[in-house]
Amino acid sequence: MKWGMIKGAVAASAVALSLAAGPVQAKETVKIAFIGPLTGGASSIGLGGRNSAQLAVQLRNEDPDTEYDYELVTLDDACKPNVGVQVATKAAADREIVGAITQYCSAVAMAAVNVYHRFQLPVIVWGAVLPDITYGNDYPEVHRVNGTMINQNETAARFMTDKGYEKWVIIHDTTDYGKGHNKYFSKSLKANGGEVLGTFGVSADQQDFTAELTEAKSMDPDVIYFGGLTPVGVRIRRQMERLGIDAQFEGTSGIISDSYIDGLGDLAEGTVAFLEGAPLSKLPGGDYFKAQYEEAGFSEPAEAYGPFAFAATGLLMDTIEEVGPDRAKVTKALAEVDDADSIVGKIRFDEHGQNEVAQITKYVVQDGEWVVWEDSEYASGERSLTGAE
Amino acid sequence: MDAALLSQYVVNGLMQGMMYALVAVGFTLFFGVLNVIQFSHGDVLMVGSFVGYSAIMGVIAVGIDNPYIALAAALIAAVTLVGLLGAVIARLFVLPLRSSPPLNTLLITLMLGTVLRESVRLFFPHGSHPKRFPPLLPTDSIAIGGFDLRVDSVMLLIAGLLVIVAIHLVINRTRLGLAIRAVAQDEETAMTMGINFRFVVLVTFVIGSAVAAFAGIMNGLYYNEINFNSGLLLGVIGFAAAIVGGLGSIYGAILGGFLFAALQTVGAVAMPFDSAYKDVFAFTVVIALMAWRPTGLIAERVSERV
Amino acid sequence: MDNVSQASAARRPDSPQVITSLVMGLVGGALLTGFAAWFLKAESEYVVGFLLLLAVVGAVAASRLGALDRIGVAFGAYEKSLYAIVIAGVLVLAWIFRQDHFTLLMITTVMVYMLAGLGLNVQFGYLGLINLSGASFIGVGAYTSAVLTMHSAIPPLLILLIGGVLSALVGCLLILPVLRTRGHYAAVVTIAFAILFESFLKVNDILGGPQGLPVGAMSLFGWSFNNPITFGGFQASFYMNYLLLTLAVLALAFALVRRVERSWIGLSMDAVRLDETAAACYGIGIRRWKVLGFTLGNFLIGVAGAIYGMMLGFIAPANFGFSDSLILVSIVLLGGIGNPWGLALASAIVVILPEKLQMIQEYRFLLFASLVVLVLLFRPDGLLPRGMRNYLPGRKVAP
Repeated sequence: MKWGMIKGAVAASAVALSLAAGPVQAKETVKIAFIGPLTGGASSIGLGGRNSAQLAVQLRNEDPDTEYDYELVTLDDACKPNVGVQVATKAAADREIVGAITQYCSAVAMAAVNVYHRFQLPVIVWGAVLPDITYGNDYPEVHRVNGTMINQNETAARFMTDKGYEKWVIIHDTTDYGKGHNKYFSKSLKANGGEVLGTFGVSADQQDFTAELTEAKSMDPDVIYFGGLTPVGVRIRRQMERLGIDAQFEGTSGIISDSYIDGLGDLAEGTVAFLEGAPLSKLPGGDYFKAQYEEAGFSEPAEAYGPFAFAATGLLMDTIEEVGPDRAKVTKALAEVDDADSIVGKIRFDEHGQNEVAQITKYVVQDGEWVVWEDSEYASGERSLTGAE
Repeated sequence: MDAALLSQYVVNGLMQGMMYALVAVGFTLFFGVLNVIQFSHGDVLMVGSFVGYSAIMGVIAVGIDNPYIALAAALIAAVTLVGLLGAVIARLFVLPLRSSPPLNTLLITLMLGTVLRESVRLFFPHGSHPKRFPPLLPTDSIAIGGFDLRVDSVMLLIAGLLVIVAIHLVINRTRLGLAIRAVAQDEETAMTMGINFRFVVLVTFVIGSAVAAFAGIMNGLYYNEINFNSGLLLGVIGFAAAIVGGLGSIYGAILGGFLFAALQTVGAVAMPFDSAYKDVFAFTVVIALMAWRPTGLIAERVSERV
Repeated sequence: MDNVSQASAARRPDSPQVITSLVMGLVGGALLTGFAAWFLKAESEYVVGFLLLLAVVGAVAASRLGALDRIGVAFGAYEKSLYAIVIAGVLVLAWIFRQDHFTLLMITTVMVYMLAGLGLNVQFGYLGLINLSGASFIGVGAYTSAVLTMHSAIPPLLILLIGGVLSALVGCLLILPVLRTRGHYAAVVTIAFAILFESFLKVNDILGGPQGLPVGAMSLFGWSFNNPITFGGFQASFYMNYLLLTLAVLALAFALVRRVERSWIGLSMDAVRLDETAAACYGIGIRRWKVLGFTLGNFLIGVAGAIYGMMLGFIAPANFGFSDSLILVSIVLLGGIGNPWGLALASAIVVILPEKLQMIQEYRFLLFASLVVLVLLFRPDGLLPRGMRNYLPGRKVAP
């Protein structure tokens, strides 16, 4: 596997609840669904998520002590809300499907949660980060294992202001992802005493940012914050250099990917970004997940949210093992999840189904790799960020 | 706004305008000889940048690390192969539709663009990921006041200018150019004068596509990144630029290209709204211009063919 | 085959040809319904593949045997009774799948695309005005329904109309440049509008920005369409509500478009499309027909958008981009420019096929684009080409 950072731990939970005893006989097959973007621009994340969910199901089915055999139905939402509603209906209307691991794209999740609620299908969101997906409604069916962008930006703002930075220019793409990041980061920054000199919304397929960056340069910021995904992040970082802007570059979870480093080479050095979840490399058994993923021979890497999909799938199957393949019972049991172990850390759902234990990890690019901040030479003082005190 | 900032905007705008102009010139050339729109032109440009990228990777794989050799290889490969692609498109998809309504050609090439784009995405290794286009030109910059002028930007601008001058010379000073102009003006008369119509059309498509391939490499060198998706918007902008300038006029296309870049820059920095509205602004102005001058700023001389 | 003489022969009610035509129409309708039901039920990709093969073989055989011509004649002569057959076919399908939410959603989506396709057909097929921003006008309708269902007490049925009217009004913004220009110049105006519209929706926070907006349910006389239908022992998915509504709206729109096509209005539009200069010479007001056709088309597209929004319950800008407009245009081209019946076939192919063949999901844009390229090259009039204008069709001459 390419991406060294994802070293998952196989969930302790994967074994904990397998209480089924008795002779091995033909098990009842239970269907669960995975929904994510398998085609289109976000497909690499979607495929990584699908593989990870598939892996969780495979590992579970190999375990002779489980009550049920699981079948994963994978559906493609293409990162488009109308397609998302279609496939959500397909999954939710299929009474054989007991639960689902759903959505990476926030706009699609916003559209689809209504469908899940209407058909009472319990779902666990594995990647979408918009707060409103869990907080914007009272649907008992909707849960989420990953943190929201609120958590991420609180940490980001505190961390950067602690480093002594004062003046920011914010660039964000005009998708829900970028706009949400802009909103929550600006808010947190204000609370921490940072100043925003200017904000630029750019489109997600824009090629040229020199007009925005030239204006940004004239404002003389300490940091350029970018809320958006890798391709635009790469372009902005590169064009910053072309225009001779020597501010620190700060990104969001959207740029933490191998292709950010591939796309920039040496220029990526020193970029900081933040990701929900505990650093997987620190969890026991991280190498086991990595080894399993490699052994399964998937042709795509797990990418940043694969471990969340793996954890969500595990949690759903645990719950089904516990209460049986019944949607209402699963919904009820999921609401009571408290301190469940998973490869992304403990999972505890609040009254909105949001995982409360949203640890945020800080990353920095060092020698062509995303390194956890605390382990980096930047933290130890051997290197320093641009313009840091 | 101080002078340094202003000159920075001007350089940025010129660079973008140059690329739009090179795309627009293709549209206008094709329209000149055949009265059709080759809408896959933007995607042809994208294919050009991928061919160039592959050539560079090939040269590096062989172990040559001289950037100029890599650049030459990229240019030769892209210009030849993409020129050929242009001829194939003309031969297989555009010429057979000569007798159907001209909009059919617009639609078939529009779909052909999708085929090219999707093929690169699906069949080029990791085609859906953006690719890093290696910087082959010197990246030093000259600081003039508060304004950094990069050497590679200057080189690219000069190269683009040279291509435009070359097209001008070919069209106006050669027998081939004479034939192209004759066909554009009146193909039947041109044919009775012994001009091989089909040959002229194919050559025009080769020239236009080769220019697009050049623009594709220029795009790669300037942004240091290429992706399968970049062609559609460039095509739309190039088309809009050619239309605003006046289809069939090369100078109109160049004017349109620079005008569009200027509109985007103005929309991003000088307007009181969010810079994300810059495309909304630019396309609104395009629509307004179309209402004001329906056949473009430099109008076609013969706008009615009965 | 001489279509005109055959058609006139078919018009004599006692001629044996009429009977056979009508019977063949009925049998064809029944066969098609059965086929559609089987196709929608099919789960395994082998069955789907087999059915596709069957469809192709069946179509080729029918056309070789001349059955298609006969059915065509029957359509011309007895269009009204054949409408009834088609509507009955859809109702039978709806009955079969009454509990199956997903299939009902698919059938309704096909009909929504058909409705929008009808609008494009008026513009492109009759008038020759190419509109490459169809999805944007669907968007206008959908956003209208979102805003009005959530923030006003206007009856939803009226909102459908308002959605159409607003879409037509937005279209009026483009009227001036579209009228003054033609051909490619007009095409660039609509492309510019498609791109402008999508980025406007994304940047603009009032309309929900990139995240989109929730849409309220359709309701009629206090009956919310998001409730499942229970009627004595009969139970059906709530999508049945939308299916019936869409079918009704579509039937109305279809009848309207066919009437326009057959009337002197349609004749004038054809003249404008075929040769503006000649049409003007014969005193046909080109501007008037263009404005009328463009507006009517956008109205229908807007209504389709309003229904679509209410049915989905949530809309976002990503649904209304330039590439979605291209899909709409491909539907019109695939089906046969100017032939509203072809739209049914093409919408079904574009909407249902990728759902049934999950393995082609990844390749669907490549596939559709290649299909359209091939159709334009080898069958430029589409899969079901528009028939020759048939004077006095369906008129029964007294014996």
